[in-house]
Amino acid sequence: MLYWFVGYKSKINQNYILILASYYFYSCWDWKFLFLLVFSTLLDYVSAIQIEKSQTTTERKLWLWACITINLGFLGVFKYYNFFAQSFAEMAHSFGFTASPILLKLILPVGISFYTFHGLSYIIDIYYKRIKSERNFVDYSLFVSYFPLLVAGPIERATHLLPQLKIRRKFNFNKAQEGIYQIVWGLVKKVVIADSCSIYANEIFNHYTTLNSLSLILGSIYFAFQIYGDFSGYSDIALGASKLFGIDLLRNFNYPYFSRDIAEFWRRWHISLSSWFRDYLYIPLGGSKGNKLFQVRNTFLIFLVSGFWHGANWTYIAWGFINALYFLPLLLRNKNRKNIDDFKLGLNFDSFTTLANILMTFSLTCFAWIFFRAKTITDALLYIKRMLTNLHFNEEYFRIERYSHNLIPLVLFFVLVEWNNRHKIEPISGKYSWFKLSLCLAAIIALGVFSDYKEFIYFQF
Amino acid sequence: MKKFVVFLAKSLAILILTMVLLDVIYTIVYMQSNSRSKIDYLYNSKDKNYDVVFLGSSRVNNHFVPRIFNEQGYKTFNFGITRSRLEESALMLEMMLERNYKIKTLVLQVDLNINTNDHSEAIRSLFMPYLHSSKTIRDFYRTIPEYNQLLYIPFYRYMHYDSRIGFRELFYAAVHKRTNALENDGFHPLLTNKRPMVPADLSNYYPKRNKGYEEIKAICKKNHIQLVAMTTPMCTETINRDYFNHLNEVYPEIRRFENAVTKDEYFSSCGHMNKDGAVEFTKIVFKTLFKSQNTP
Repeated sequence: MLYWFVGYKSKINQNYILILASYYFYSCWDWKFLFLLVFSTLLDYVSAIQIEKSQTTTERKLWLWACITINLGFLGVFKYYNFFAQSFAEMAHSFGFTASPILLKLILPVGISFYTFHGLSYIIDIYYKRIKSERNFVDYSLFVSYFPLLVAGPIERATHLLPQLKIRRKFNFNKAQEGIYQIVWGLVKKVVIADSCSIYANEIFNHYTTLNSLSLILGSIYFAFQIYGDFSGYSDIALGASKLFGIDLLRNFNYPYFSRDIAEFWRRWHISLSSWFRDYLYIPLGGSKGNKLFQVRNTFLIFLVSGFWHGANWTYIAWGFINALYFLPLLLRNKNRKNIDDFKLGLNFDSFTTLANILMTFSLTCFAWIFFRAKTITDALLYIKRMLTNLHFNEEYFRIERYSHNLIPLVLFFVLVEWNNRHKIEPISGKYSWFKLSLCLAAIIALGVFSDYKEFIYFQF
Repeated sequence: MKKFVVFLAKSLAILILTMVLLDVIYTIVYMQSNSRSKIDYLYNSKDKNYDVVFLGSSRVNNHFVPRIFNEQGYKTFNFGITRSRLEESALMLEMMLERNYKIKTLVLQVDLNINTNDHSEAIRSLFMPYLHSSKTIRDFYRTIPEYNQLLYIPFYRYMHYDSRIGFRELFYAAVHKRTNALENDGFHPLLTNKRPMVPADLSNYYPKRNKGYEEIKAICKKNHIQLVAMTTPMCTETINRDYFNHLNEVYPEIRRFENAVTKDEYFSSCGHMNKDGAVEFTKIVFKTLFKSQNTP
């Protein structure tokens, strides 16, 4: 209301309102980390101007690397220091040495991985002269701290978001309505699908040593839907909320579980991160140029870094490694860009193949998620071992205040709705939108999980 | 903008209507259900006469066999509910009186549950469908912090307690799927023997004056119900059995039965007897406190 009724006269007012709201939003978690956010913003802002002002390449490089080092330094200390210290101690121990690492009791600032990457993309774009540096500090701060994307993305690009912040936003009914639909659909994904699945997935992963093959298979599927519903639900809410302010954010998910191969999956899952790594790491490393060995190295590097970005744990690195392994056959046979077109299904053999490929890709993804979800690599391996060797497929009772597997019809119905609407951003708009909106609201109220609140998974990254 | 405000208002209206409609549907279904839990059975029953009623937690649910009393000419029912605390037992007793029950004797388990004045969310949730229709329940929960939301926001109670009275439970209530809660006159036997037996540790248990128990005492006194408060058996390996002595320091009237059954073979786990243990225990309780009403 404040934004459209008080701030409508100029983009300056609108940006001031948004930046204040963003800082308030962030300080609700921990106001002390607000200083870190402001410092990071200031660092990128000054560095960008200095890079642009620099007369020599050496000077430009110096500013670039200073900025990257400080940004990654913060990320490293807060997110990765303890991991490296512990890993080093364990390695020293395996060689017969004793090391007692000093571990830091640090709380990970919310969204640090996201806003650091915002800043880095901006600095690198300035260095390569893709964009001009932003001189208005408020506009730049808003680009970094804009609240819908601050804590869990999507990871925005200056080339996409900054131009929108430089002009006065005019209210657009269709965009705002689309925003509401997207928020509602995001809530369905989060409270109905993700939170329901999380109850079962947590129960199964926490007691995997006593469960049978069927439950363990279902555990990985439930987690696949938990993380998808949770993260894509958050992204939908963020994109929808932003549309209410007249600002479009980058799309982060495009029905990834309907991918026909793993390369397509990575073009549809967490798109803003995948494309970030592609543009700022993979391509600068040489990308798909050079011989196959070189390409394989780059591919593995990108997946390992992507895994490591999620957290300081070997399980994430293993998850990245497995995805790189999945990608390898496609790369070696030059088929990694085979499935970039849309597909239609009919009663023919091609459709059958397409469906089989989708199922195969989904199964591979679920298998990789086991590593992502497990507490340790050993847990993941034991989980898989039991899943493959137990070979009992009877329905089991879970000690949760719900019944064993009656979540399956709900998940299947959700898949059906997404499948039928895979060419749209959300399924509510279009014909009978009021009826569909009512159904979604009813689903949130009646099927949502409220007594067992789960924070968004990606807040921890 | 005006169009958007209208759109938002319509959406909000749909939301409220949906909540009201769902609240009505859920409440109607739960009001008709009487075979899913002891609470829905209690709500849907009236004018019952009982010589003895058992109340308490799983240590009543799994330990008192009404058949043994019934064979001696008594009319009894085991209203013990797993995870129930004394607060919920007090409300159940009040509901019985609201439903015009005539009760001569109440056997109440007062042992580990007196360690806390807290309530059980799981059991509280089962009363919620009747919040509007039962004055007793409304009065009982009037002082809890979320009372106004539970009472006045349509469907809030079903969202708040979705794990127990949400959609899944509604579905089973609607199709009248029975649970085993009411079988054997409310007695739920445990058939397994978990070995090795893990000793119960009562080191952190301190008996204290309990609001629920005081309330039950007052209700019994007012309605001329004979109250028998008692402990129930724990395995001999229990750490800090001294807890039971302290119990009598706080409430001297509590009858001690924690040593009534001691053999490990009678225990399913340290705090719960199996079926044979329950039969043995009920016989001891009957012999100690009651007399056969069968005419020779």
